[in-house]
Amino acid sequence: MNFPKNLKYTKTHEWVRFEDETTAYVGITDYAQDQLGDLVFVNLPAEGDTLACGEAFADVESVKAVSDVNAPVTGTVAEVNEALADAPEMMNEAPYEAWFVRVEDITDTDDLMDAEEYEEFVKTEG
Amino acid sequence: MISALKIFESPSGDPYRNIAAEKHLTEAVGEGEMILFLWQNRRTVVIGKNQNLRAECRVERLLRDGGHPARRLSGGGAVYHDEGNLNVSFIARKPDYDTVRQTNVLLKAVRRLGVPAERTGRNDLTAEGRKFSGHAYYEKGSHACHHACVMMAVDEEALSRYLTVSSDKLASHGVPSVRSRVVNLRDYVPDIRRETLSLAIREAAEEEYGLKAAAGDPFVWQEETVQKDAAWLASEAWLYGRNIPFTADYETRFSWGSLRLQVQVNEGRIRDVICYSDVMDEDFPAAVQACLQGVPFDSVAVSSCLLAMDGSPERQTAARELADYLRKQLAE
Repeated sequence: MNFPKNLKYTKTHEWVRFEDETTAYVGITDYAQDQLGDLVFVNLPAEGDTLACGEAFADVESVKAVSDVNAPVTGTVAEVNEALADAPEMMNEAPYEAWFVRVEDITDTDDLMDAEEYEEFVKTEG
Repeated sequence: MISALKIFESPSGDPYRNIAAEKHLTEAVGEGEMILFLWQNRRTVVIGKNQNLRAECRVERLLRDGGHPARRLSGGGAVYHDEGNLNVSFIARKPDYDTVRQTNVLLKAVRRLGVPAERTGRNDLTAEGRKFSGHAYYEKGSHACHHACVMMAVDEEALSRYLTVSSDKLASHGVPSVRSRVVNLRDYVPDIRRETLSLAIREAAEEEYGLKAAAGDPFVWQEETVQKDAAWLASEAWLYGRNIPFTADYETRFSWGSLRLQVQVNEGRIRDVICYSDVMDEDFPAAVQACLQGVPFDSVAVSSCLLAMDGSPERQTAARELADYLRKQLAE
């Protein structure tokens, strides 16, 4: 299981890679993809949509279930990774490269965990 | 720890109300509760959340016969439901949610009735290699729902009448359906009815969880959220309007030449058209492309826009024949 140090994490297994203080890429973690199994579909939001921290902004379908993906921060969708929609298996193969959206005007970052905290959290959850 | 087992029997045959009630129960399930929701739909094709209705189902034929197209909230492929099918939903919070145990409840129930049932792969129950039950799942945070359809005496002719056979004619970006050899439990239990199977499921669940089942509150169907969600589940936007592109490919021969048409459909409308033809009127393919661009992908809209095409009498004849052909393809 991989927990890159340069990322922030949520308890619902999303990662955040900050470009600057208010801009970041968002995806699901290695742990999340491992739990979900083979991913076959992703529903992405549209550019300009608002993300509300803790609320679902996308969902994924795996061979096991349809599951929500929650917004790790509040902000606005500046860019959507359309390539992910065509190749959902990217989430399994390279979860930290398979970004969903680039978010701007970010607020609500207080609950994010660093890599160590997240690794610890995953241990207790498993 | 599961400390309460509740069984809700749906009084409705309306797929939209049933799926809405299932969603409501999933959102409302309390800690330590295991809810079983038993429901049946009248003549319905149910597709997975991320499928294209038109790629999976002969929608116009289904509607003409008084049936219902429905999109569920879980993943997986298209199925046909009628009153010969019983749906069973297992609803619980994550710590108590265990698909293996839940599947065991169904296995025990049908084995008790004399069916040589087995679990196959992740999502199916089979009897002698033929599938009688498919399973799908969805999760909302820590609330989870696992549902199964169980074929007791489904009209197999209707099944093939409404579900499209997998063909390369419709290439969807959505989730594909896998067609299996199916069997009705009636083959093993000739007098099987909803009541028989429901009772067997109740007893098997009581045994699996070591609890007496209580009847769920029937007022759940009066809930405002259920009514509202049912209307949303029946809406065109939910059924057709989702962003799941697919391509339909038609190839045929007319009196005036052969024609191949590829249309890309998304959110219910034709987004892109490519037309090839050896027709004498060499501008005809471009005219067809321009004509179909942005048109809703249904038999009436497609044929009426072609019938309204301007041009020479020869072109209008060609357009009319193409309109007739596409109307039939889409309506049947």
